[in-house]
Amino acid sequence: MSADAAITTRALTKHYGEVTAVDALDLHVRRGEIYGFLGRNGAGKTTTIRMLLGLIRASDGEAEVLGRRVRPGEQAAFARVGCLVESASAYPNLTVRENLAIQRRLTGSPHCAVAEAIALMRLEGYAERRAGRLSLGNRQRLSLARALLHRPELLILDEPANGLDPAGIVEVRELLRSLAREHGVTVFVSSHILAEVAQLADRIGIIHEGRLLEELDRDRLRAEERRYVTVGVASPERAATLLTAAGFDRLERVDGEIHVFGAEERRAEIARTLVGAGLELTELSLVREDLESYFLRLTGGAP
Amino acid sequence: MTFAQVLATELLKLRRCKVTWFSFAALSLGPLAIALFMWIVRSPGRAAQLGLLGTKADLSGVEATWPSYLSTLTLVVGMGGLLLLAFIVAYLFAREYVEGTAKNLLVLPIGRHWFVLAKLLVAALWWALLVAGVIAETLIIGLALGLPGLSATTLRGGLHDIVLVAAVVYLLSPLVAWIATLGRGYLAPLGFALAMLVLAQVFGKTGWAPWFPWSIVASFVGSVGQPVAAVTASSFAVVLLAFIAGIGATIAQLRYSDNQQ
Repeated sequence: MSADAAITTRALTKHYGEVTAVDALDLHVRRGEIYGFLGRNGAGKTTTIRMLLGLIRASDGEAEVLGRRVRPGEQAAFARVGCLVESASAYPNLTVRENLAIQRRLTGSPHCAVAEAIALMRLEGYAERRAGRLSLGNRQRLSLARALLHRPELLILDEPANGLDPAGIVEVRELLRSLAREHGVTVFVSSHILAEVAQLADRIGIIHEGRLLEELDRDRLRAEERRYVTVGVASPERAATLLTAAGFDRLERVDGEIHVFGAEERRAEIARTLVGAGLELTELSLVREDLESYFLRLTGGAP
Repeated sequence: MTFAQVLATELLKLRRCKVTWFSFAALSLGPLAIALFMWIVRSPGRAAQLGLLGTKADLSGVEATWPSYLSTLTLVVGMGGLLLLAFIVAYLFAREYVEGTAKNLLVLPIGRHWFVLAKLLVAALWWALLVAGVIAETLIIGLALGLPGLSATTLRGGLHDIVLVAAVVYLLSPLVAWIATLGRGYLAPLGFALAMLVLAQVFGKTGWAPWFPWSIVASFVGSVGQPVAAVTASSFAVVLLAFIAGIGATIAQLRYSDNQQ
């Protein structure tokens, strides 16, 4: 396993009885990068994170975090790791400050770390409020403050935008970017929302039914935004033959329509070819498939 | 240093915690209830006026004396304590799962055994304060009632039994902690404690009484017949074994099992 890796997994697998939650997962997260771990609900994201953090045992394979093998009961690997797993959680009878004081003591951080974490997550107005009386968004902020308090080298965040309002989401995104760019913190962030990950991550791993389907960087993800011309016509078979003969060789037939790729600037030519052959056009439009569609296509969902 | 930090955080977690006050209120009812019976027994006329309560007090066969008062309190601390301490230990351990904070603790660079030991020490301190409070309350109420039969020997013997049974009750609590971490909630440990109380009565009437940890308590405090004179060395060994097994199982549960919430 290479020295530049913040997280490495090899054939990491988790079975629950007959169900395989994570299936031979090979991940390689480089130090200093923001890695988006994308998958639909139940894809295996949280199970993977739990294995990375030693909360559950892998059925097979291995994981390494910041150069240390994750083994049951061996906690030293987590000294430089901050995390947020699933839902935000805190002791409801304690104030925000007291909750963070617990984290400060247990991580051996200096006294000023609590005030810094409060300021970083803009919780000053809630510092003396009991965690049980916080809104969902502020509880999430508290959990993020707890994860950041000891200035970790690696952040493992499971759906960090949960419960945050749009302004809060932007704020957290900017914070994570700044931690990665200015402080070299590696960020491993899971989400089921592609747009959120696409805006933040340097690289994205797409997990589905426990398997890593694809790993791609942001540029490649953008390249996957497909553009094509949709042609609606009464006789798609004949239309496809005519278009192929006219030099449109990248065609896809979907539900009685024809998708013509690489022909964004040749829509008039398409129309001339088909109308000239006596076919009646019912639709001719340029479609730009967004990233969500790409994600759904990749994971076998609609459209 | 690590243990001191963990212990400090465990104590901090009890701040503004209503359960602490509830536990004090629950156990302090013991001496009050016994004192009420004593008072009724000493005044049969008033007992008759009180109807059912007076009849029950008469039927209980309680003598209104210091030895009887202390002996009944031993029963309350023993059998009531088994349930109350189970409640306390369940709260200390299971709250981490119920409040979703277990995952935060288990990813810290601190050996998980320290959390188990710190929580059990907090339970010990909590229980010791409860028992000390109840003893103080007992003495005050007993003196106020003017119960007969008070002597240094009676007091020493009574307090010795209360402290002894409180210690034995505590030694059984790690098994409740294990069930709490296994069940990740309050229901399983409290159900376990109730089941053990029932089994204590069942085994207490059999030859297994000296070998079943909860029956040892029941036998000593006289909830299954006349109280035995002393806890035998073999019974102590059984209780000690249960204590060690409970701690070991709880640590192993946190260390080696899947910890999901």
